[in-house]
Amino acid sequence: MQGNQQQAYDRGITIFSPDGRLYQVEYAREAVKRGSASLGIRTADGVVLAADRQTRSPLIEEESIEKIHEVDEHVGIASAGHVADARQLVDFARRQAQVEQLRYDEQIGIETLAKRTTDHIQQYTQTGGARPFGVALLLGGVENGEPRLFEADPSGTPYEWKAVAIGGGREDIQEHLEEEYDPEMDLAGGITLALEALAAADEDIEPDNVHLATVDTETERFETLSTAQLEEYAAEADIGGDDDE
Amino acid sequence: MSNDPIHDTQDPYEPELGSFDNVEEQSGDAVNKTGTTTVGIATEDGVVIGTDRRASLGGRFVSNKNVQKVEQIHPTGALTLVGSVGGAQSFIRTLRSEANLYESRRGEPMSIHALATLAGNFARGGPFIAINPILGGVDEDGSHVYSIDPAGGVMEDDYTVTGSGMQLAHGALEGEYDEELSIEEATTLAARAVQAATERDTGSGNGFVTATITEDGVEIEKYDDVTELL
Repeated sequence: MQGNQQQAYDRGITIFSPDGRLYQVEYAREAVKRGSASLGIRTADGVVLAADRQTRSPLIEEESIEKIHEVDEHVGIASAGHVADARQLVDFARRQAQVEQLRYDEQIGIETLAKRTTDHIQQYTQTGGARPFGVALLLGGVENGEPRLFEADPSGTPYEWKAVAIGGGREDIQEHLEEEYDPEMDLAGGITLALEALAAADEDIEPDNVHLATVDTETERFETLSTAQLEEYAAEADIGGDDDE
Repeated sequence: MSNDPIHDTQDPYEPELGSFDNVEEQSGDAVNKTGTTTVGIATEDGVVIGTDRRASLGGRFVSNKNVQKVEQIHPTGALTLVGSVGGAQSFIRTLRSEANLYESRRGEPMSIHALATLAGNFARGGPFIAINPILGGVDEDGSHVYSIDPAGGVMEDDYTVTGSGMQLAHGALEGEYDEELSIEEATTLAARAVQAATERDTGSGNGFVTATITEDGVEIEKYDDVTELL
């Protein structure tokens, strides 16, 4: 009986259950947890976005697993959940960044971009015939020389964070971030913390399974770190590589 | 896709409120034109805008002797009315509502460069035919003066003049501008430029209005005779 009652309220996304829940939005949050983890860390001199790109098979080309995307030269997005849904939102965000250039001849602010994107996501929780996005995003970048980091979840609520994780294993990563986060750390410290936090959820993680990008407050540019660069950071932090030695 | 509210994103060249659908605007002698001389001068401490107060029908009949041709459109920005009065007034209302929306959403005012870009986009794509305003404003980067032409051209300068008296006013301004000018000196210089146009341009006259824009805001003052400031 309980099951039937619930079913009556999760057919349409625009229907509230009697206790005020939107089941389809909650299921979309479950979809996020099924994805591999992504995290963001705001440091004193930039933002770090990192993602665990688990591979189903050694034969897949790792480069084709897209978890971190450049949106404009000063901002990037990391995702967890349905990659195909993330691509739609990333493209929306890229277009918004260019609309800002056309309209105002200015770079879009990270907060403005995050709120435009979450407003867009929200419409998919209130429009008949649509389904919510099965993905959460982290938007990180530099705005007026200040690093900013926002989360967008499937309900379309924007949150600003100092450091946050989304996706599978989120609890372990978040716990590690909460223990180790230091607002004074530099970008290199943020990269190391990102690798350690991902390792906290997945002991077997290797640098070549990590996609990591930064936006530095000085250059205000989105940059992806190479595997060789990540290996240096990982070696310093004593992460991965043990099996080979 | 356009009927789907989910995909309905903002056209970068149009105002968010209102639309540009009815682009046709009446032209001809029945349209009140400002004639006009409007001057904008950027100084270290702020921007001074000076205008005359005459509206005319093609410069041949004075249809109003008490027009305020500069309006605040931003906490620290003002725009002049030049050209068709209806077009210019509508342009001002549109830009003001856009600037207000931007500020209330983002918690900080638009930069003057962004406002000038937006004004250029609207002038280019919109129904505000035959307007040629000056935008003056102050932001984090300092004082700015822009002229916006009817086709949407946006040009920044230290000082600029638009309107039917522009050549006369430029003659008075040229060689007198100095970036070290105080606000008072710039006000006198603007008055001298509008005075020169008032003397010989049939589209300009009937007194003087100034807008003084500093980081604290916009102050507008009216004078019945421009010579009060000389």
